[in-house]
Order: sequence, then C-alpha cells, then structure tokens
Amino acid sequence: MVDVAVRQGSVRGVRRASAGTRLRYALRRKSTVAFLMTLPLIVLIAVLVIYPAFYAIHLATLNKSMTRFVGFGNFQFLFKRDTFWMVVEQSCLFAITAVIFKALIGFIVAHFAHNIPSKKQRKWRGMLLVPWVIPPAMSTLAWLWLFDPSYSAFNYTLGLFGIAPIPWLGDAGWARFSVILVNVWYGAPFFMIMYLAALKSVPDQLYEAAAIDGANWWQRIWYVTLPMMRNIIAITTLFSLIVTFANFDIVRILTAGGPVDQTHLFATWAFRVGIEGRDIPLGASVSLFMAPILAIAAYFILRDVTKRGNEA
Amino acid sequence: MSRRRLSRRQFVTATALSSAALISAPYLRTAGAAGKLSIGLWDHWVPGANKTSTDLINEWAAKEKVEVSVDYITSQGSKLLLTQTAEAEAKSGHDILASGGPWQPQAFADLLEPMNDIMGPIVEQNGAVNGTVKYLGQADGKWLAVPAVIGSQIKGPCSRIDLMKKYADIDVQAMYPAGSPPKADNWTLDTFLKAAEACHKGGYPFGIGLGETTDSVDTAGAIFQSFGAELVNAKGDLTIKSDAVRQALEYYKKLISFLPPDVAAWDDASNNKWLISGKGAMILNPPSAWAVAKRDAPQIAAQCWTHGMPAGPKGRFAPYLPFFWSVWNFSKNKQAAKSLLTHLSQPTSIERLVEASGGYDLPAYEKLTNLKVWGEQEPPKGTLYHYPDPYHQEKLSIAASPAPPKIAQQIYTQATLTKMCLKYAHGEKMENTLAWAENQCEGFMRT
Amino acid sequence: MSTLAIDKAGPNRKIKYGSMSRDRVWALRWSYFFLTLFAVFSLTPPLYMLITSLKGSAEISAATNPWWVFHPTLSNYVELLGSNQYLRFFWNSAMVSVGVVVVTMLISVPAAFALARMKFWGSAVLATGIFLTYLIPDSLLFIPLFKMFAAIGDFTGIQLINRWYVLLFIYPTLTVPFCTWIMISYFASIPKEIDEAAIIDGASWFQTLTRIFIPVAMPGLIAATIFAFTVSWAQFLYPLVFTTSTDQLVLPVGIITTLIKGDVFNWGQIMTGALLGAAPPLVIYAFLMDYYIAGLTAGATKG
Repeated sequence: MVDVAVRQGSVRGVRRASAGTRLRYALRRKSTVAFLMTLPLIVLIAVLVIYPAFYAIHLATLNKSMTRFVGFGNFQFLFKRDTFWMVVEQSCLFAITAVIFKALIGFIVAHFAHNIPSKKQRKWRGMLLVPWVIPPAMSTLAWLWLFDPSYSAFNYTLGLFGIAPIPWLGDAGWARFSVILVNVWYGAPFFMIMYLAALKSVPDQLYEAAAIDGANWWQRIWYVTLPMMRNIIAITTLFSLIVTFANFDIVRILTAGGPVDQTHLFATWAFRVGIEGRDIPLGASVSLFMAPILAIAAYFILRDVTKRGNEA
Repeated sequence: MSRRRLSRRQFVTATALSSAALISAPYLRTAGAAGKLSIGLWDHWVPGANKTSTDLINEWAAKEKVEVSVDYITSQGSKLLLTQTAEAEAKSGHDILASGGPWQPQAFADLLEPMNDIMGPIVEQNGAVNGTVKYLGQADGKWLAVPAVIGSQIKGPCSRIDLMKKYADIDVQAMYPAGSPPKADNWTLDTFLKAAEACHKGGYPFGIGLGETTDSVDTAGAIFQSFGAELVNAKGDLTIKSDAVRQALEYYKKLISFLPPDVAAWDDASNNKWLISGKGAMILNPPSAWAVAKRDAPQIAAQCWTHGMPAGPKGRFAPYLPFFWSVWNFSKNKQAAKSLLTHLSQPTSIERLVEASGGYDLPAYEKLTNLKVWGEQEPPKGTLYHYPDPYHQEKLSIAASPAPPKIAQQIYTQATLTKMCLKYAHGEKMENTLAWAENQCEGFMRT
Repeated sequence: MSTLAIDKAGPNRKIKYGSMSRDRVWALRWSYFFLTLFAVFSLTPPLYMLITSLKGSAEISAATNPWWVFHPTLSNYVELLGSNQYLRFFWNSAMVSVGVVVVTMLISVPAAFALARMKFWGSAVLATGIFLTYLIPDSLLFIPLFKMFAAIGDFTGIQLINRWYVLLFIYPTLTVPFCTWIMISYFASIPKEIDEAAIIDGASWFQTLTRIFIPVAMPGLIAATIFAFTVSWAQFLYPLVFTTSTDQLVLPVGIITTLIKGDVFNWGQIMTGALLGAAPPLVIYAFLMDYYIAGLTAGATKG
C-alpha cells in the first residue's frame, strides 16, 4: 500500500491540527487502517479458501494415481460420460426447483406472517423457523425415518385412507421429489425470515398511498412490496442457490444418489467418485465444475444488485 | 468413552497370551517402554463387542509395555473410509486401521506395510484363507493387510421358518439342520425364485435390496457369479456382452417383480428393518437383523434361520464381505503393530472376538469355522449353525471379482450390478443395458 | 381456531381504515389458514422426532401406529444424558460454536467497517469478492485442506488433524463472508454524518468503530452472531472428515457415527440426540429472534 509511510507521523499531527486538516489527515491514512482491518479477512480467505481451491485445481489435472500431469484429461473423460451430464442436469434441476419453491413459500409465508398482529407473530415465526434451526444432518435423519420402507409414518397415514405405500426414495421421480421436499423444508424458513425482515422495512406510507390510489391486494404486492424487496430477494436467492447447488448432507443421507444415480448432485457424486471410488483427481474435477456454473449465476445477480445500488 | 488411553496396565491374563508371546518374541527385545500405538477399529454394533477388543488390546499392551489408544470408527456414512483416505493423504494417522470396506487394502496398496512375515505363521496356525480373502488382501503375492475377524461376514439368507413353510413349502430347518451337513441339493436359484414368488403372493416378499450399499451389491455379486456372469474378467477384458450376464439380468428382472417396490433405495439397514418389522419372509444379511429382532421382536427372532445360498448353474456362491486390518508404511511403530495383529489373530483371541459379537464376526481361516458359539446361539437353537458355512459347500465370493481389483473396486462402489438389474427391470432394452454397463466399465479402467 | 383469533385480533389493528376492515378480516383468516398449513409442514419432522424419542426399541420395531406413543419411556433420554460420550459431543459442539462466533466477529466486524466506510484501493472488488468465496464449496475444499493441515503437523509438530479446535480455523470460511455481508449492509445504513462528526472530534477510526458503530449496529451484530452459531452448530462434512476420535467429535457427527453402527440404526436414540442437539439453537432463537429480524431489517434491505 502506498500510504503506509504516512501512518506514524500523521497520528500525532491529527490532534493539533484544525478540524479541517484533521479530517484530511484522517482520510489520508484511512486506506492503511482499512487495509489492516480487512487483513484478517483477506488472510482467512486466501489461506483457507483460495489456496486450497488452487490446490484442488492442481489435483484435477493429475491422473488417477496422482503421479502424472494430464492437463484437461479428466474433464475430457468426464464430458464423455452420461452420468456426468445426468449429474449436471440433476444438480440444476434440484437447485433451481428447490430455490424457486423455497423463495415462493418463503415469500408467501412471510407475507401472511406480516399480516397478522405483531403480538402473535413471534409465536408463528418461532414455529416456522424450527426447520432451519435443527442441524440438517439430524433433521434429514428424521425424514429418512419418515420415508423408511418398512416403518414409513407417511405410508402408514396414507394406508389409513386406503392409499398404497409410496416408494418415497425407491423410485426416481419420488426420490427427486423427496430430496427437493426436504431441502425446501429446511431452506424455506431462511427465505421467510429474510423476507419478513424486508417487509417490515417497507414504509407503511407506501401502502397507504397505494390504498388511496385504489390498488388491490395483488397490485400492492406487485408495485410496492416486490420492488422494495428486489435486492433482498436477489441476495437471498443467490446465497440459497449456492448452498443448494453444493448440497451434500441431505442427498447423502436420504438417497446417497440412488436409485441408479438419479438423485446425485455434484457434491455427492464427487464424493462417490473421489473418495469412495478413490479417484481424487476425478472427484476434484467434478466438484470444480460447480464453480463456473455458480459464477455465472453470481455474475448476473450481483450485477443487477450493484446496478440498482448505484441508482439508489 | 470408547477411546481408552491406558499405559502399563496390570498384567491381566498370561495364559491367553502364551502363543502370541512366542511369535512376537523378536519384537520384545527392541520395544522400549515408551512405545506408542494408535489403533482405529471398526465400531461394532453388538453391545460389548468393542469392549472385548479393547480388553484384548490392553492385555497385549500391558505385556508389551506399549501405550495404546483405541478409536472405534463406524463404517456408516463412509466414516471409516473417509478416515483412511484422509490419513493416506496426510501420511499420518492411526498405526493400525481397520479397512472401511473390502477393497481398501488394494486401493491403498502402495501405502501399506507388507504383512508376509506375520501372515505366514498365522496361516500355518489357523489354516488357509479362502480365495476371496487372497484376492482382496494380496497383491503380487504380497500380503497388504491382515484379514480382520471383527466385522467380516457372510450375507446368506436369513429366513422366516414359519413363512417359508407356509407359503413356499420349504422347511429351511430340514434343509440346513443344526449340527449336521446341509441337504440342500434342491435349493437352487429356481427354487429360490419360486419361493420369492410364493411369499410375494402371500404378502411377505423377500427383502433383497437393490441399492448401492454393500448388502445389495454383495447379493447381486453372488447371483451373477452363480450364473458365471462377469462384467470384466480376470485379465481385465470386458465380458459384459455374454450369455451369462444376460441370464443373470433376466433372472434378476423376474426376481425384482417379487420384491417390495422401493428396493432400489434400500441401504444396509433396510433389509434388517424389513425382517424385524415382520414384513418379509427372507432377507440376505449377516445375523445382525436376527440379533436385533431377538431384543426388540423376540417372536420374530424365534422364527429366523440363517442358512446357505441357493445354487446357480455355475455353482453355489455366498455373498462374502471380509474386513482387513492394515498398517501404514508411514507408521512409526510397525513392529509393535505387527505384534498386536498377531495377537489378535491367535485362535484364543479370535474365539473371544467371535463370542463377543454373538457369532457375527467370521474368521477367514479354514480351521476356525467350527467354533461352538455358532451352534449355541438361540432362539431357535442352532439358528446360526450354518452361518459360517461349516461344511464349505459354498464359494465365498465378492461382487465384481475376478476382475482386476482396481476395476472391480469401481464396479463394486458404483454398484454397477444392481444398477444394471434396475435398468433392465424397469424397461430398458437388454442391449442398451449392456451397452450402458460397458460404457461404465470402460470408465473404470482409467489409470 | 382461526376465527377466534381474528375476533380478538381484528379490532386492535388498523381499524382506522374503516372500509378496509372487512378485507382485513378475510386477509387474517387466510393468513391463519396458510400459516397453520405451513406450521404443520414445518413441525411434522420435529414432532415425529419427539414421538420416536419417547418410544422404546421394542415399540419402534413393533410397527404400531407411528404417530402415537403407547408405552412412553424416557429411557432414551436417560441413556444419552447419562453417557459421558454424548455430553462430550455437546461440550465440543458448544466450544466450537462459541469459538467460531468469536473468531467470526473479530474478523468480519472490522472488515465490514472498513469496506462500508473507508473506501480504499480494491475495497469494492473485495466486498463483492468475499461473497464469491461461497462459490467454492466445502465438498471441494476438504481434501486440499486436510493435506494442508497435515503438512503443518509435519513441519511444526502442531497436530491439527483429529482435534476439535481445527474446526475453529475451518468454520470461519463458512461464516465470515455472510456475516461480513450483513455487517457491511448494516454499517452502510448508519448516516455518514455520525462518523464524520466523530472523526472531526478527534476520534480514531478504531474508536469510531467501537464507540459508535458497534453499539448502533448491535442488532446487526446479534443477527450475524446467530447466523454464525447456527452454521457452526450444524456443519457436517468438515467434522466428518477432520475428526475421528470419539472424544473430539461434535454433536451431529457424534450422533450419526456412534448411534448408527454398521447396519443397525438405533432410531429412538438418534431422534433423542437430534432433538437435544437442536435445543441450544432453538433456545437462542426463542430469546433473540427479535434482534435478528431487527438486525436484518436495517442491514439486508439496503443491499
């Protein structure tokens, strides 16, 4: 940093100088202080994220026994495999469907929760947040137990109405449904709480004004609520998209990718190939493939956010 | 706490150790009192089984004046496998580690300490090991690991005596009488299929998984081998497009129609629950399901009978899952590790381990398949007598063998066999299924 | 049930828009209807956990009505709470989570302050960039990270593998970016005049942060704390890979790896363990939820 040299002298100078110069001096050494304040963050990210990520890239260019450099050989190999394209497709399907439903349910629930008197809100909010608070590895076990082939409580209930048992995890369609269902169950409260927070920050006057203009319920949402919440929707969606895309525990515990690889995601397949199949370079290549897809999504969403941030 | 750190415990039982001391004698000279050994063993599901192995280790440690620490690591969620992978990457970790599956000695071959020097005497004493153990545990005549007693299992049929009689008209107790050789000449895959159909009709389908975990894969492996079906042969050539594979697929297609609808999602626990809940007439599993039923559903346990596999056109194959104990070549105390493994492989130790597991654990050695513990288990009396295949009428095999282990491991962990069966059973054309499997196997041949 | 609630709730809110009150009653009715629906969806699995946790293993095996406990027993709770092992998991989880919260705050608060207020070379890129670290998921990083920590062990003799405190280094990669993001937004919402005035009065940047920004941004801080705590409490993959000894395990991994053995699931205890494991975050939410929402209101909506 250029300003480093200024640091010591300026400290004493500030005290004696007039108000105007103090501000100027402070601003001059600001970037040094700022840099020092962000240093732990930079170090953390550099050492524990960026460096290992590059190391993973290095791993992805090695052959199976990690003795030889093969360049893009692993990717060339992957692109020829049906399973790989299935995993790409399924990851996108899983992430997009789950995020849409999470966002939708989160929005609807937040809206309804916002509607009711604030005294009662606490209780409802508390109940609706429960899924997000339980560690997903544990709650997924509860779902696994609910879906169990021999003891399924859902099938028991359906049986009372004379409905035949559903192979919750045994049939490709149902298994995908179940995995997405659990993910939505776990993730929707996060959206709900973010939206609820955002809803509260929308000034009441806007609604009053809209009401006076004769806007109906739907128009109020479309013209007042949504525009006010655009940023929060974008950020929450992005965050959730990333987490959902990279999901490991839910699919791992519920289906481990089956039946016939039809619920594998990048993370679970990378684990299967890399750790269980002991082909670490190939596993690293699979999971590296997540990054560009997410980066594209992040680019669009963040560009949108910053653009509007500048307008504001 | 299952991690126990004990140093120089009092000498407990000298008698049980006399033979071990003989073999480990050379080691005794060099061992300093400060020697340390860390051990990672398979976390046994049988209550009290871990304690017996801890006791055995402590007895040895007290005698050898080695400080030991024992971790019990579950195989669930690939925890044991993850540990092994992580330690291999880090080149540090437990001195002795149980393998997280049958393929680990081969997968980590270049990082494991050869065991020839101790395996020679052990085999001489305990009898030969079967071909599958050699196939998995040896590379180029070098022993990569010591066959572990703890956790090794045969996944033969565990049948409901009453239901099999009622619906399939088969008396499993007469077929596999306790205390005497089996009369199972008519127990073939055809009989098996008919029984599956009959029990399905009766509302108690067989519980045979078609998931991607070991129970499902091992069963498929044994049935494929009964037809002589190999995806990749011992030389490493693709042999998928063969009549044997077609026959095996046809057979499985018929079988799947008599199984519960969600078998594709079954894991290793699903078949246990199927039996314990009383919904099925048979599962293919080691006696853990029976043992849990004994505790939670005694009326069902009393009707369980563990016995041999049906024979196919190419012989009688049993799904076999051996575990191993291995020592890293970067271990700092290899001699002590070997001495301990020798101790754990003594007949007296093995008998104690098998007893502690209620007969679940199977020694790999020929002379040790007649321990009295199997004959004594009840209810019903003798239910486990045929579990260790005491008359050697079956070939203990592992799925995907005899392909070269590196390829076989991939076929096994990717569950290619069960996936093929599911694809074909769910309407994929035979040739497409075979082509798909061929494409998969080509991928597994990567080096 | 919903109509009752409306009768009470109706009059005390927004009754002033006379003609709208009819609308509101209907809106409320619909709201309660849907909220009940979603609450049932949310609470079914935890409720089922509770039901299962009260059953003995024989009752679970018997496949009776799964939604009812015929012979309630606390044996699962007694067994878990009486085992040193489970209490150890709890203790480890608590230490890790509290430790991670502290580390996270020490890193993200100053960084967020600097990025929100003190524009410097690269600050805009960095502000966006930290969020992008989430593009590199844990399932990609655990092998290289493991190799790194092993190498540290080799070179310095400091053993980090199979020690719970290694998680204190790793978890912040999951918590810091989002917490920094929350704090940036929150700090950005504080009027510039306040800190300019403080600087002119002679306060250093550090004093401005600790004396003015942190107190004002307390709700944001609490929100970030809760987030960090929940994430650390719930992490699964990293502890699964980095810790193996039973006395080093944290709660989720401990429950899954000690109560599931081979092919035998101990459902009663698993559900009990999961329920007890969910208790600390639930309690924290119950008390601090309002702060959380207030914190997010000021922070996140600014973006």
